[in-house]
Amino acid sequence: MRNVERLCLAHFWVAFAAFLVASLLGAWQMWVRSPLGANIGTPSQYFLSVTAHGVAMAYVLTTFFIMGFGYFVAVTALARPLPGKAWAWGAFWLAIAGVVMAVVTILTGQASVLFTFYPPLTASPWFYIGLVLVVIGSWVWCVLMLVAMQAWKRENPGRPVPLAMFATVANAVMWLWTTVGVAVELLFQVIPAAFGLIQTIDVGLARTLFSWTLHAIVYFWLIPAYIAFYTMVPRAAGGRLYSDTLGRLTFILFLVYSLPVGMHHLLMDPEHGNGTKFIQVLLTAFVSVPTLLTIFTITASLEIAGRLRGGRGLFGWIAALPWERPMVLATGLSFVMLGFGGFGGLINMGYGMNAMVHNTSWVTAHFHLIFGGSVVIMYFAIAYEIWPRLTGHEYPSLKALRLQLWLWFIGMMVMTVPWHWLGLQGQWRRVANFNYADPIIAGWGPWVIVSLAGGLVLLASSLLFIGNLFALHRSAAIAVARPLYALAVHPPQRVPAALNGFGLWNVLVLVLMLVAYGWPIAQFAIEPSPAAIVHRVQ
Amino acid sequence: MPHDSMIHSNQPSAADSPFDVADEVDEAALAAVMRHVPLGAGVLAGAAVALLVLGYLLSYLLVFIPRGTVG
Amino acid sequence: MSERQPEMHERRILGTELLWAFGVGVLIAATLSMIVFTALTMGINPPSNVERVDPKMLHLSGEFAEHNLGTSVAADGSVTARVIATQFMFVPRCIAVPQGRPVTLRFAAPDVIHGILITGTNVNTMVVPGFVAQVHTQFTRSGDLLMPCHEYCGLGHSEMWATVQVLPEGAFQPDREGRVSCAQR
Repeated sequence: MRNVERLCLAHFWVAFAAFLVASLLGAWQMWVRSPLGANIGTPSQYFLSVTAHGVAMAYVLTTFFIMGFGYFVAVTALARPLPGKAWAWGAFWLAIAGVVMAVVTILTGQASVLFTFYPPLTASPWFYIGLVLVVIGSWVWCVLMLVAMQAWKRENPGRPVPLAMFATVANAVMWLWTTVGVAVELLFQVIPAAFGLIQTIDVGLARTLFSWTLHAIVYFWLIPAYIAFYTMVPRAAGGRLYSDTLGRLTFILFLVYSLPVGMHHLLMDPEHGNGTKFIQVLLTAFVSVPTLLTIFTITASLEIAGRLRGGRGLFGWIAALPWERPMVLATGLSFVMLGFGGFGGLINMGYGMNAMVHNTSWVTAHFHLIFGGSVVIMYFAIAYEIWPRLTGHEYPSLKALRLQLWLWFIGMMVMTVPWHWLGLQGQWRRVANFNYADPIIAGWGPWVIVSLAGGLVLLASSLLFIGNLFALHRSAAIAVARPLYALAVHPPQRVPAALNGFGLWNVLVLVLMLVAYGWPIAQFAIEPSPAAIVHRVQ
Repeated sequence: MPHDSMIHSNQPSAADSPFDVADEVDEAALAAVMRHVPLGAGVLAGAAVALLVLGYLLSYLLVFIPRGTVG
Repeated sequence: MSERQPEMHERRILGTELLWAFGVGVLIAATLSMIVFTALTMGINPPSNVERVDPKMLHLSGEFAEHNLGTSVAADGSVTARVIATQFMFVPRCIAVPQGRPVTLRFAAPDVIHGILITGTNVNTMVVPGFVAQVHTQFTRSGDLLMPCHEYCGLGHSEMWATVQVLPEGAFQPDREGRVSCAQR
């Protein structure tokens, strides 16, 4: 679809440019806090870098990638032009303006509050406003996704919405719910404080509102990877999706259960009681279900492909899979990282057990592995898969793509496994430099260096990724037409309305949010926390 | 309905109309293969999840509890 | 292929998914049961006492006034350590706690969000201005432990840490006012 090629490429290049800069910053940070960089860098530089790294990876790479991918899916899965393309471009430029605003405040040292903001620490208001603009741009994207699906449904009455688009819209609906928490926190608390309109802030309320967004946002990031699992990987492997129904169910479960679980980020907080914490731990256990279902369904889909290629016996199908294809290789590597990352997550959410790991390097290890690892490796695979369609060119060879994916996997494992260990030893987070003379800390040094080595491998992989995409723009080979989306073993002719739309599920989300967040937020209206004085960072 | 191809090509692709383009999978071969699926997947995924839960229990009993009760 | 085969296949597929979901559900239920069990029988919970305190008045309030900080043993023998977390130090910088006895740790912050962990233990809590953070625990091993601030609290965060001396029974001696200070080393 010619009409969105430039739109998609624009979004992707912004995302990947941010990714490259953040990779460089990440490697520098790791060097500076290791024994090898003991006297390099000031705290001011370090926390500026951490803020930039977090904002770039967590807000820019993700939002722009997801928007670009969504436009691509809306056009290719629905086989119709994107409605409201002018709005899409408007949203893009609005988001760019927001990024520029935020970046300027970060680079001038006026926003070293990290990507999680820690009120009453308060940055320049333009930092927050910049991020709000990015969010508003993404809201336009959400509306366009909904409009595209509705238009297709009108033209195709009674037919099941193609799974890739159904999942994309589920993600869009979930994102609209997700951003409410941080939007309220920023619009009513943090930005007024940053402008000096209020002098104190209710910190308990701010943390609670942010937690509303903080967990659901990781599912916003994750769902595109799962869209690839369900709708692209089975075709790439030469097989079929084991169950289309389970695909729909999975994305619905994410919509419903991603949101009422944010308090598992606040398990160590004193402003909430055990009752609400336990309810959200229970709900967190439920949100593990769609991932566990996915592991089975996608493995079964790969088994179909492997057996079709001649694999026999209980595990023969594994070796028979076309591992030379980047989409298949990425999936295998992603699942391995998902296993380790999921293990870490189980421990994080374990109610009292969270005390063993909270705010240690274990947490840093977990989200780098599960997001930076399992999810971002699929972002690479998606980019590799659709780039020929966007540019009209083909890769000279797939070897460099596979090398890049392997480097990412190896680097991520080498970087994060020591971090898990160090976290259990008590190594804490967000430290510009450690006192390696201290006997307890001295023992950590060697592992920090191992972790640094992993980070450097990741940096090499990042550079190679960008290089691979650039090479395609300049490649002489013309892209060969190739089908993209997978068919299911039983392609659905009709699906129940509940699996073809979101009306019912929005009601369920509302009910669960009232149960999970109703009292935790209302308590601050009934009895506000004693307010803390706003602390401006420069 | 009229649409442009994302790449200038005469060949059909699922990217153009996902419902109409068949894949290379032979239905008879698929039926034969479906007699064995998902046994391999069940064992592989099941073993992975079992290891996960085992790892969790061991961490709880051998690492967490010995560090002292906390509440 | 007979007409019934595809039906069978679809039903069979959903059947296997249901079986898998059931197995997964059992494992999740087992994990949650263990959490509930240890919470009820061993009192293992996150720190959640929800106790409000005005951060702007901490230095004036009886409990967290400077002369009342550190470890003290009450008349009934209960041990409580009170610490202020502020940019960028803990007050006091060192606390002494007994080995093998229940200890209550209470933290408050007058300024921004901090947090603490004690290395080698499960003591971990956020310190949020507006609330008193409280942790009950028992220290199983004697020795010197590190208690860093583990939440970003500004540019001086990296330098913010305290020491916890876990003293064996004989060495943990309260003075006349019931206070115990760190041993001079």
